[in-house]
Amino acid sequence: MTDLVAQQILNWLTLGSIYALVAVGFSLLFGVLNIIHFSHGDVSLMSPFLALGLVQALGAGAGGISSPAAMVAFAIVAIALTGLLGVLLDILIIQRFRTAPAMMALVATVALGIVLRELIRHLFPNGSNPHAFPRLVTGDAMLFGFRVPAFNATAILVAIVAVSLLFLMLNRTRLGLHIRAVSLDRDAARLMAINPGRVFRATFFIASAIGAIGGLFFSSYAGMVRFDFSIDIGLIGFSAAVVGGLGSMPGAIIGSLLISGLDTLVQATVPNGASYRLVFVFLLVIGVLVFKPAGLLGRTVTEKV
Amino acid sequence: MAPIVLEGESLTQRFGGLVAMAEVDFHLKRGEILGIIGPNGAGKSTLLNIISGIYVPSSGEVRLEGRRINGVAPHQIVKRGIARTFQSSRLFGDLSVLDNVIIGRHIHTRSGVLDAIFRRRRAEAELAEAAAHAEGLLKAVSRGLYDQRHRAAAELPQADRRRLEIARALASDPKVLLLDEPSSGMDDADTDALMDDIRAVCAARPDLSLMIIEHDMRLVAALPHRVIVLDYGQKLADGPFEEVRLIPRVQEAYLGRRGASHAQG
Amino acid sequence: MAHASAPPPARPLGGLLIVALVEIVGAAALREFLLAEDWRWVLVLLAAFGAVLVALERRPALEARIAEAFARHRRAATLLGIAIALVFPFVLEKSSYALHLCVIAQLYAVLALALNFQLGSANIPNFATGASYGIGAYASALLALNFEVSFWLALPAAAVVATIFGFLLGLPSMRTKDSYLALVTIAFGVVIHQLLNNLEVTGGPNGLVGIPAPELFGHSFASPLAVLGYELPSQANFYYLSAVLVLIAIVFAGRLHDSRVGLAWNALRADELAARCQGINTTWYKVLAFAVDAFLAGFAGTVYAFYVGFISPDNFTFLVSVTIMTMVIAGGMDNILGVIVGAVLLTLLPEKLRAFSDYRILFFGVTVIAFLMIRPQGIFPQRLRRYGG
Repeated sequence: MTDLVAQQILNWLTLGSIYALVAVGFSLLFGVLNIIHFSHGDVSLMSPFLALGLVQALGAGAGGISSPAAMVAFAIVAIALTGLLGVLLDILIIQRFRTAPAMMALVATVALGIVLRELIRHLFPNGSNPHAFPRLVTGDAMLFGFRVPAFNATAILVAIVAVSLLFLMLNRTRLGLHIRAVSLDRDAARLMAINPGRVFRATFFIASAIGAIGGLFFSSYAGMVRFDFSIDIGLIGFSAAVVGGLGSMPGAIIGSLLISGLDTLVQATVPNGASYRLVFVFLLVIGVLVFKPAGLLGRTVTEKV
Repeated sequence: MAPIVLEGESLTQRFGGLVAMAEVDFHLKRGEILGIIGPNGAGKSTLLNIISGIYVPSSGEVRLEGRRINGVAPHQIVKRGIARTFQSSRLFGDLSVLDNVIIGRHIHTRSGVLDAIFRRRRAEAELAEAAAHAEGLLKAVSRGLYDQRHRAAAELPQADRRRLEIARALASDPKVLLLDEPSSGMDDADTDALMDDIRAVCAARPDLSLMIIEHDMRLVAALPHRVIVLDYGQKLADGPFEEVRLIPRVQEAYLGRRGASHAQG
Repeated sequence: MAHASAPPPARPLGGLLIVALVEIVGAAALREFLLAEDWRWVLVLLAAFGAVLVALERRPALEARIAEAFARHRRAATLLGIAIALVFPFVLEKSSYALHLCVIAQLYAVLALALNFQLGSANIPNFATGASYGIGAYASALLALNFEVSFWLALPAAAVVATIFGFLLGLPSMRTKDSYLALVTIAFGVVIHQLLNNLEVTGGPNGLVGIPAPELFGHSFASPLAVLGYELPSQANFYYLSAVLVLIAIVFAGRLHDSRVGLAWNALRADELAARCQGINTTWYKVLAFAVDAFLAGFAGTVYAFYVGFISPDNFTFLVSVTIMTMVIAGGMDNILGVIVGAVLLTLLPEKLRAFSDYRILFFGVTVIAFLMIRPQGIFPQRLRRYGG
């Protein structure tokens, strides 16, 4: 019994960590851009496909999928490429909507997400079918004094490290200062000789790269990846950021833990829970929004008149 | 002695730790024009936002003809008889000038979804009546605006936008009209024309009470019967402009700093 | 009401001629498009359509002349339009495929008009129109299968059910807006889809089968339609049914647009705070927009369910909502004609360009982004209202 509970707690934390990796990107981008980058989930889920593509293109020479070291190397390259993809999408499309009404940016990025998914479906070999995705880490490890699968431990630790680095970056570096300045007041920042365009691109790179880590762990956790998995992780990551309060990093983490908690609980206790998990998750989202429209940690913005 | 239409009692507005308004009292008599002056950030707009229901005051009370209105939703406050304009003109830019004024008559029309669909004649007649009323109002406020009534509001020059804001607010037949810096962004000639327009509006509606936030001292000296001076969310003075301007604290707080801000700008 | 602009010299015959020409040429072009088998011919027709649009854009006087002719001869234009719609199935060479496309295009036109109340008039991003469509379809199908309710009773009943759900969906809009509200509608769509997919009553992923065809005066809609000895394929029954639905939707949309409600929605779209300060109860009008959208979508869903006779959750996904949104944005928000043209074009294009149909979702996504970037007002931009004209 305790084993089962411990197992569920481990699942909860793993899933929460993966969701958080995607959710912080949503929150960070919203904080800086003031628009929802709805396709962030789809960008994040590019990484497993990029990694698989690299394996197929170069894998044979580097020892194939069988070599974990090669897979980790490909994963890191995929993370960097996904970061660059985020920057590219900003330059090509999203920056056109900086000053447009919020709804236009929203609809455009929803459409962008669809385009990304469909591109995978059509351009990736056998894109419509699921592709096996290996566990990036195998074996057991010790975490907080418990013996757990190394994969779960890695996912949790990587999430903690990535989010901590993001915190440090935002609060301790020049770039972080600029990001915070632009998110507070874009025009004032420009007057202080901060180039908002550079800040936007840096933010897109960071958010997409962190999301890419989430995408890799998500696929690795599921053992496979399909072009439309990003709907699931994108919506859940976005929901987590919204439940926590868009623009708030701690909020994104709390939201992720809350949603993954409900997700795990439903799957463990409700009969046929796996098919109903999204129903419960989204009822939670709607409920939170009705009672706390700005999310749990979000600040209610009073419109300036 | 005209009766009091609108009054506020120890109004306080806090935003988190920031006190935007502290214990302000005011009153407005029927047919009176009241000027609200004070340096930037003194709480003038906060006061207007409290009266029009956009902010709910942290404490204190606003009464319209003796009935408490704080906590009432903005759209209900319009129904009770208070209309306002905005400092940064907030017209419905992609609608015609005429439509803007017709929307201002929203509270005097009734038709809902079912009326519009199943009792079209009635709904149309009601809207046509509102349109006729709006055209009359536009004509009265400014002939030039009337001639442009089929243009999109966003295409209007600055001065006409202000006039349209006033016409739209008047369309609800308010008892109290709140004007938030009507002359901002206008040159002297436009401001003179605006003052004439406001005088004409008041002359045609002797019972209408006006509250005007203004920075332009010429307008403040000429139009209001009485002014209130705000600074740091508190009321410094209340009285006719000629008297108020002589009070040293007012000169120091308002006119002095105003001069300084001119030097910066 | 008097107008400052001098009325152009009356040319009643010229006006009538313009109306007749535009409608007949439009219908003929649509017929060619529906029956075209060669993709090159399809492209030629598309190019011609594009050229006409460019010409109208370049020559505002021409466009104004046409608009004026239609405004002056509204009754004649309506009657001729109805007559053309009545005759249209007879010129389709008994092609059941062409008729099928007409039915689907008309249902999408109704859905797009429904969404237009929100997206176009009031600027509310609703990603749940597909869900309302599904609620209408399932509600009517369940009534027909379990209680043997006839189509004609199921139709209003399903619309009411969808409207109730629309109200429910609209309730969160009292507290949330923009991105948050968009998420609520997406979440609603996913919840409905998952419920349909998992509940036993709705048949799970297999959906509902064997929905009986409607009957009218003993004539089953599943049998061919014979008029004066000319026999039309059975799809013609549903062609006329959905044409009536389109007509109803146009009347709804037109009357609401030209009413106090339409103005209030437009005010809400332009500036919500300013709208509140004109005495508009913005919350109520938002909920109302959700309800009207759901009502029409529920109607369309019922017709769809009885038309295909078999529905499953996958007919009503998030992608259906996005498709409808694409039609509204490409056609022209808050422009009834534009929205209908958008719906017809985007239904037919992937069908006609077969090479294309695999990429239809990609095509929709690219279309939305391209329009938002290059021409956010759509093919037919919204127009200012005129009074007493």
